[in-house]
Amino acid sequence: MAIMNDIQKVSDTVWEIPVSYKEGMRVPARIYGTEKIVREMDDAVYDQITNVATLPGITRFAMCMPDGHFGYGFPIGGVAAMDPQAGGVISPGGIGFDINCGMRLVTTNLTWQEVQPRIKQLVDKLYERVPAGVGSTGFLRISKDEFRNVVEQGARWCVKRGLGWEEDLELTEESGCISGADASKISERAIDRGFNQIGTLGSGNHYLEVQVAKKENIFDEKLAERYGITIPDQVVVMFHCGSRGFGHQVATDYLQQFLKVMESRYRIKILDRELACAPFDSPEGRAYFTAMKCGLNMSFANRQVILHRIREVFSEVLGKPAEELGMRMVYDVAHNTAKLETHTVNGEKKKLLVHRKGSTRAFGPGMDELPERYKDVGQPVIIGGSMETGSYLLAGVPTGAETFFSTAHGSGRTMSRTKARKMWRGEKLQRELEHRGIYVRTASWSGLAEEAGGAYKNIDEVVHASEQAGISKPVVRFLPVGNVKG
Amino acid sequence: MASRTPMTLITGPLGSGKTTLLRHILASVDRKIAILMNEFGEIAIDSKIIQGKDVQIAELGGGCVCCSLQGEFEAAVREILQVVTPDVIVVETTGLAEPEALIFDIEESLTDVRLDGVITVIDADSLIRFPQIGHTSRMQIEDADLILLNKIDLIETSQAAAVEDKLEAINETAAIVRTVRAEIDPQLLFGIFRDRTATPVPHLHQPEFDSFSILPEAGYSRECLSAWAGQLQEWGVYRSKGFVQSEGEWLLFNYVAGRWEFEPFEADKAALVFIGKSVTVHREDILEALAECELCNTNSSKT
Repeated sequence: MAIMNDIQKVSDTVWEIPVSYKEGMRVPARIYGTEKIVREMDDAVYDQITNVATLPGITRFAMCMPDGHFGYGFPIGGVAAMDPQAGGVISPGGIGFDINCGMRLVTTNLTWQEVQPRIKQLVDKLYERVPAGVGSTGFLRISKDEFRNVVEQGARWCVKRGLGWEEDLELTEESGCISGADASKISERAIDRGFNQIGTLGSGNHYLEVQVAKKENIFDEKLAERYGITIPDQVVVMFHCGSRGFGHQVATDYLQQFLKVMESRYRIKILDRELACAPFDSPEGRAYFTAMKCGLNMSFANRQVILHRIREVFSEVLGKPAEELGMRMVYDVAHNTAKLETHTVNGEKKKLLVHRKGSTRAFGPGMDELPERYKDVGQPVIIGGSMETGSYLLAGVPTGAETFFSTAHGSGRTMSRTKARKMWRGEKLQRELEHRGIYVRTASWSGLAEEAGGAYKNIDEVVHASEQAGISKPVVRFLPVGNVKG
Repeated sequence: MASRTPMTLITGPLGSGKTTLLRHILASVDRKIAILMNEFGEIAIDSKIIQGKDVQIAELGGGCVCCSLQGEFEAAVREILQVVTPDVIVVETTGLAEPEALIFDIEESLTDVRLDGVITVIDADSLIRFPQIGHTSRMQIEDADLILLNKIDLIETSQAAAVEDKLEAINETAAIVRTVRAEIDPQLLFGIFRDRTATPVPHLHQPEFDSFSILPEAGYSRECLSAWAGQLQEWGVYRSKGFVQSEGEWLLFNYVAGRWEFEPFEADKAALVFIGKSVTVHREDILEALAECELCNTNSSKT
């Protein structure tokens, strides 16, 4: 690969492309991963991450996480901190279209031995109660006006209506409600697309999984215990979903608006129109930031309602209230965001707009934004693997400052969805998985084939690289036993 | 095969002119068209919406409908075929979509439809303004059979060739047609008969598309017609369509980029249209060669 001549090895897991690589690069680009991972990344990642390095206000490095692969404008796995004081921009392509696509992890006090006889019943009922698929709509019927309240109040709106517990909020990034969301910055079309989608998984790589924490897969017992993984073969539920059509429409609306003003009003020259952006400190940039926060809140609310359904289903199938089943949240993390955070750059504290696209925030111990109960141990980081291979719970570490406390978000695709469809058949895959002890229900056979384990990077390699790079550390690895595939 | 409903995919980056093209199609094509999109766009504003199972359907008048996707794509298409029975289905993808997966779906899972062509709308002006073509746009260009280089009026004439070079470097077989407000001869959009297994024919850098039509009233030798069709590419013909009489029956002639078909058809009037780059320059060559195929007992062709 031609790029390997231009790339400089900083350490075993950090690779740098210097500013001399491409005209207009303001900072070097850095890719995190083992040599194997970096070599296997597609060429578009190098192209895209060095494009990101040309954007106004980018601070220190344009970074790509070990699970990086190409995306719209920015690579998925891209991290870019923009300094608003230095003309820093906000870019929808740097956040992703599924705004606040994220992960939520819930424990139970049940062992796999207790759940096994009921697993099919559980998964079937979850499949029924948490609608999946492209145009799926939820059971929550609210008016468009009420939906405006949802996008301003996030998961808080749900808890107020009995769709969750007070402590769920504390265990959600931004307490489930990012402040400053303003529905007046949202188009009617976005409202139309979103108002009936709360409590739905969606399609693509979204899923809901019942998993087991086996003793041999616990890497840090103390941390595991603090995060709520306390009994042998403990059953947990993990799910991944986002802001559905709503976030997508918000991003589309502002992308179009930015394309109109970027050059004429702000004299910003970009290499690729997919990088469309506006200065953070501009009316357009601020409006998008506010609208994007609505996307964040919609997604927190979506995951809150889904959690509520999961508790209902477990409680019905196992005949006990969710409280008695120990169905407490471990945490809820967002993947596709841009947030104003304070970081230290060259010994100086700075407010930066950190874009994380397909990347997880991973705050180390002691940071202000962490919930009280995790302040001394660092933030739980939930990494979803492919439905066949397993997922991880990691922890944020102090050395994460290097990447503005960001780490990987999943295993990352190794091939296009189409290629995966050509290689696997959904029906056959489901039978094979069942044979291996993973019971899967899906809204779409072709969608299932796209998510075959073989279409993804090895999750263990990704997690190992993140640990070696000092951006997060593994706590528990979970094995899937039941899956509802969006 | 004749019973498979043709499906045309329209793709292209945000703001390139896909909706404008749809409007143009609805205004200029006299067939029953079903448009399928992820969400109702401006096309269906003020229409009556009917709630189906996997689609919502908005009536657009003249038998045409606009459908928004509710469930799985395959199920939605089946529902449209059943409920609407359109002559043509046009699928508009979002500007952010990579069409590859959809193409695969159509070709793999939908046996009732035939993917006729992938049309990619590109904003000429944005290709001048941004030096790199984004990854998503690139995939949309790669998959095209026909590229509308739209908003050509926004760039200097001298820049157009360079922009076409950029597109040809990504897709050397698709025809590139320069358009303003996505206005294009609808004959060029439908009946492409996409065939990615055929040997691709790279098109040379040529001047603009033009077209002419003739009324060939003679009867022709079938064998000779085939030989004639085989030569059309040399004369710059990209697309030709119409009816001719041959050996006592009417034939429908359908020609796209070096591939063609003569198929018996009910018709009562001969007419052929030719579209290609500078095709009018070769008008006489085309007519002369066709005249050589005339069977002796009929009149000579008139134009």
